[in-house]
Amino acid sequence: MNVVVCVKQVPDTESAIKVKPDGSGIIKDDLKYVMNPYDEYGIEEALRIKEKFGGVVTILCMGPGRAVETIRTGLAMGADQAVQLDDPAFEGGDAFATAKTLAEALKGIEYDLIFCGKQAIDDDLAQVGASLAELLRLPQVSLIQKLEIADDKKSATVHRQVEGGIEILKVSLPAVLTTQKGLNEPRYASLPGIMKAKKKPLDVKNLAALGLSSDSVGCAGSKSIITKYTPPPPRAAGKIIEGEGPQETVPKLVKLLREEAKMI
Amino acid sequence: MGNLLVDERDVEFVLHEQLCVEDLCKTEKYKDFTKQDFDMVIEEARKLAVNVLLPTREKGDREGCKYENGKVTVPECFHEAFRLYKEGGWITPTEDPEIGGQGLPFTIFAPIEEYCAAANGALGGYAMLTHGAAKLIEIYGTEEQKKKYMERMYSGEWAGTMCLTEPGAGSDVGATKTIAKKNEDGTYTIMGTKSFITAGEHNLTKNIIHPVLARIQGAPPGTKGISLFLVPKIRVNEDGSLGEDNDVFCSGIEHKLGINGSATTTLNFGDNGRCIGELLGGENEGMKIMFHMMNEARLGVGLQSLGQASSAYLNAVAYAKERLQGASIMSMKDPNAPQVPIINHPDVRRMLLWMKSYVEGMRAFAYYIAYCEDKEVTAKDENEREKYADYIALFTPVCKAFFSDMSFYIIKEAIQVYGGYGYCSEYPVEQLLRDNKIASLYEGANGIQALDLVARKLGMKKGGVLMNFLTDMNSFIEANKSNETLKSYIEGFEKAKNSLAEVSMHFGQIARGPDFIIPIINAYPYLEVFGMVALGWMLLWQATIADKKLKEIMAKEGALDQESIRKLISGNKDAAFYSGKIAAAKFYANTVLPTVISKVRAIKSGDKSVVEIAEESFAS
Ligand SMILES: Cc1cc2nc3c(=O)[nH]c(=O)nc-3n(C[C@H](O)[C@H](O)[C@H](O)COP(=O)(O)OP(=O)(O)OC[C@H]3O[C@@H](n4cnc5c(N)ncnc54)[C@H](O)[C@@H]3O)c2cc1C
Ligand SMILES: Cc1cc2nc3c(=O)[nH]c(=O)nc-3n(C[C@H](O)[C@H](O)[C@H](O)COP(=O)(O)OP(=O)(O)OC[C@H]3O[C@@H](n4cnc5c(N)ncnc54)[C@H](O)[C@@H]3O)c2cc1C
Repeated sequence: MNVVVCVKQVPDTESAIKVKPDGSGIIKDDLKYVMNPYDEYGIEEALRIKEKFGGVVTILCMGPGRAVETIRTGLAMGADQAVQLDDPAFEGGDAFATAKTLAEALKGIEYDLIFCGKQAIDDDLAQVGASLAELLRLPQVSLIQKLEIADDKKSATVHRQVEGGIEILKVSLPAVLTTQKGLNEPRYASLPGIMKAKKKPLDVKNLAALGLSSDSVGCAGSKSIITKYTPPPPRAAGKIIEGEGPQETVPKLVKLLREEAKMI
Repeated sequence: MGNLLVDERDVEFVLHEQLCVEDLCKTEKYKDFTKQDFDMVIEEARKLAVNVLLPTREKGDREGCKYENGKVTVPECFHEAFRLYKEGGWITPTEDPEIGGQGLPFTIFAPIEEYCAAANGALGGYAMLTHGAAKLIEIYGTEEQKKKYMERMYSGEWAGTMCLTEPGAGSDVGATKTIAKKNEDGTYTIMGTKSFITAGEHNLTKNIIHPVLARIQGAPPGTKGISLFLVPKIRVNEDGSLGEDNDVFCSGIEHKLGINGSATTTLNFGDNGRCIGELLGGENEGMKIMFHMMNEARLGVGLQSLGQASSAYLNAVAYAKERLQGASIMSMKDPNAPQVPIINHPDVRRMLLWMKSYVEGMRAFAYYIAYCEDKEVTAKDENEREKYADYIALFTPVCKAFFSDMSFYIIKEAIQVYGGYGYCSEYPVEQLLRDNKIASLYEGANGIQALDLVARKLGMKKGGVLMNFLTDMNSFIEANKSNETLKSYIEGFEKAKNSLAEVSMHFGQIARGPDFIIPIINAYPYLEVFGMVALGWMLLWQATIADKKLKEIMAKEGALDQESIRKLISGNKDAAFYSGKIAAAKFYANTVLPTVISKVRAIKSGDKSVVEIAEESFAS
C-alpha cells in the first residue's frame, strides 16, 4: 500500500497572530511554525498501514523554504520520502488552487490512498481534501476516526463522526480520507528517526516542474480572494455575580441565563 | 509565552548566538550535522518534555513509589513515559552511532537534559543512571561485558544504578565495607549493604545492572583498596537470556521530602551468599572508574538544578502577570486605584529579575561546560584538548554545588512571588522546591564539592588551570571595555574577577603555612565567589552580543528615542529579548557582583571562629 499524506506547515497555536496594519495579511516575522496537527494523524495512520501491509509513505507539502522543517518532522516520524511544492507562484492560493496544485503533483506519485488533515488550523477552510478528491475523481470520506483496510486492499471500512453518532462507510480505494483527532495517537519523532530523515529523498518541485501555468495556481488561480484581514474583536469582560453564597447568586445567574443570554 | 519549562529563545541564543555551536559542524567529529539538525533535536526534546514527561511530574509526586516484599513499584504513569523516552533514543544522544547512539555534540545534549529535568527530575534519574552505568561499561568493560550489559542498558531495556553509599560510608567513600571474595571461575561473591541507592529496585525494566563499590578481601584500606563490580539483579545466561535471581534484596525505600517518584532503596547484596559480581576494570581501580560516572552525574545534577530553577522562574513570571493585587505604587494615594498585576510592583520585579539573571547565567555556564567537552573531543592539538579537559574538572564542582544551591534559592523566590498560593500544592513551585533539595546532597554533598574545588582543583597544574580561566575572562574584558553602553558594567565585572584572582592567590600563599585552615573553612564561600564571577562573565558576554543586535534592530526600525525604543520592545520579540538580556546583565553587575568583593573581604579577614568555637558552645 502506497500512501500519500498531504501536509501543511502552519503557525503554532501558541504564536500570537498579528494582522498587518493595512489588513493585507498577517505579520509573519515572529511566527513559529509547526505541522498542522490534523496532518499528524494522517502520517501516523499511513505509518501503521505501512507497518501492516508494506509500501511507501510519501509526504506531499506545498510551502515555501521553511516548510522543509515540517517535512523533515514527518520523515523523522517514519515517512519514506517527500515532495515539496515550492514556487512564489503558489503563494496566496485558496483551497481550490492548492488542491489543483497538489492534484498535479500527485500525477507523478504512486498511491493507493491519500490522507489530508480535516482542515488546516491557520485558515480553517476544510476544503482542500474534498477539492482534491473531486479533481482526482476519487471517492472521499472526511473526518475519519477509524480505518480498516480490507485484506485485498481494494476497499476500506471507515468510521466518521456525525452528530450524535458514528457513521460507518465502506469506500473503494484509492480514496481521499481526511483525518481528525481520535483516529490515533501520533508518534513522536525519535532521535534515530531524525538522523535517518536527513538521508531520505526530498524532491522539490516548482511551477515549471509541475507543468502548470502561473495563472492556474496561487493567488491568480484562486476562485476566492481574501480582501481584508481584521483581528477578532477583543473578548468582552466576564460578569461577576455578587452576592452572599449560592442561595443569593444562583437565582441571579439563572435569571441572567434566561433573560440576557437566553440560553435556558 | 511558550512552555513553562525552559525559555526556548534563550536556548537558541546561548547555542547559536553566544557559543555558535554550528562551528562544531566544521570539525571531523561533527561534520555530518547542521544547525537544522540541532534545532530539530531540541524541538523534539521540548515536545517530549512538555507532552510526555511534564504530565507525570505531579502525578508521580502524589503517587510515589511503593515497597512490598522486596519489590518496588514506580508511579504508574512513569511506565509509558519511560517507554517513549527510551524508544525515542534519548538515553544515548551523544554516544557513538556504532553502539546505537546519535553522536550529537554535548552542547546539544545540555538543553535536552535541561528540558527533561525541568519536566520531571524524579523520572529523569532512572534514565540518567542507566546511561552513566552503561558508560562505565563502554569505557572500562570487556567486549563480553559490553555485549552482555551495555547494549541493553543503552537501549533502555535494562536499567542501571550507582552503588557507593553505605550506612557508614556516605561522604567518606573510603569507609566502604562491602566485601568481594574471589571465586575460582574469576567472578566474585559480593556481600554488603548499600543505602540510598537511587533506582536500586523498580518495575520499569526487567533487569537492573548495579555497579557496586566493594573491597576485595585483603585490599589496602581507604579509597585505594576499592574495586568496582557489575552486579545484575537477575543473572544473565551465556545466550543473553535471564537466569536466576542474583541474591540482591531490596530491604526498603526511603520516605523523603521530594523526588517521590524516584525509588531510594536499601540494597542487601548476598544475604544468602549467592550474589555474584564481575570485576569492571582492574582490581583496586574502583574509585578511579567510578569517578567517571560521578563527574558525569555531577554535571547532570547541575543541569537538573538549572531545569528546575528555570521552570520555577517561568511559572513565577506567568503568575505575576496574572495575579491582581495592590494598586500601582504610582497611585498610592488614591484609595480607588485599581489593583494591578503584581508584576507591576518593584519588589516583585526585583525578585523576578534576580531569578532571571541567575537562571540565564547558569544556563549559559552549563552549556559552556558542555561546549568545553566538545572542544576537548574536537581539539586541534594536545594543548587545546588539555585546556578544555582541565576546565571541565575545574568547573564540575561549581556546576554541581553552586547550581544546586542557587536553584533552591531561585525556587524559594518563585514561591515568594506566588505569595501564599506558592506554598500550596495546587501550584507547581512547592513541588519543585521539594524535588530540588536533593541536588545539594547527593553526588557528593556541596561541602565536599567545595573542598574538591579548593583542595584539588585550584592547585591543578600549579594553579595554571585557574590562570587560563582568568586569562579568558581578561581577554573578554580587554575586547569589550570600550563598549559605550556596557563599559561601567564590565568595569564592575573586572573588579569582581580581580577579587576572585586575589583570594585564589591568597589561598595559594597560605596553603602550606599555619593558616592552611582558612581555605578549608572558606571553601564554600570561595565556591560561591567562583560561581558568581563565572556567571558574571557569561551574562556580560551575552550582553555584548545582545547590545549589538538590539542596536541593529533599532537602526533598522528607526527607533532612536526612549519612547520609540519602548514601543519597539513591546511589538518586536527579538528587541524585547535582547533588551531583557542587557537588563539582566546590568542588574547582576550592579547588585550582585559588588557582593563578591565583600565576600572576598570576609574570607580574607582570616576569621577562624568556626574552628575556635568549642563543640559544647554550639547549643546548651
Ligand atoms: C534521595 C537520595 C538519593 C541518593 N542516591 C544515591 C545513589 O544512587 N547512589 C549512591 O551511592 N548514593 C546515593 N545517595 C547518597 C548520597 O550520595 C549521600 O547522602 C551523600 O553522599 C552524603 O552522604 P551522607 O548522607 O552519609 O552524609 P554525611 O557524609 O554524613 O554528611 C553529612 C554532612 O557532613 C558533611 N561532611 C561529611 N564529611 C565531611 C568532610 N570530610 N569534610 C567536610 N564536611 C563533611 C557533608 O558535607 C554533609 O553536609 C542518595 C541520597 C539520597 C538522599
Ligand atoms: C499556610 C497558610 C496559612 C495562612 N494563615 C492565614 C490566617 O490564619 N489568616 C489569614 O488571614 N491569612 C492567612 N494566610 C494568608 C496569608 O497571610 C497570605 O497568603 C499572605 O498575606 C499573602 O497574600 P497572597 O497569598 O494573596 O499573596 P499576594 O498578595 O498575591 O502576593 C503575591 C506576591 O506579590 C507581592 N505583592 C502583593 N502586593 C504587593 C504590593 N502592593 N507591593 C509589592 N509587592 C506586592 C507579595 O509580596 C508577594 O510576593 C495563610 C496562608 C498560608 C499559605
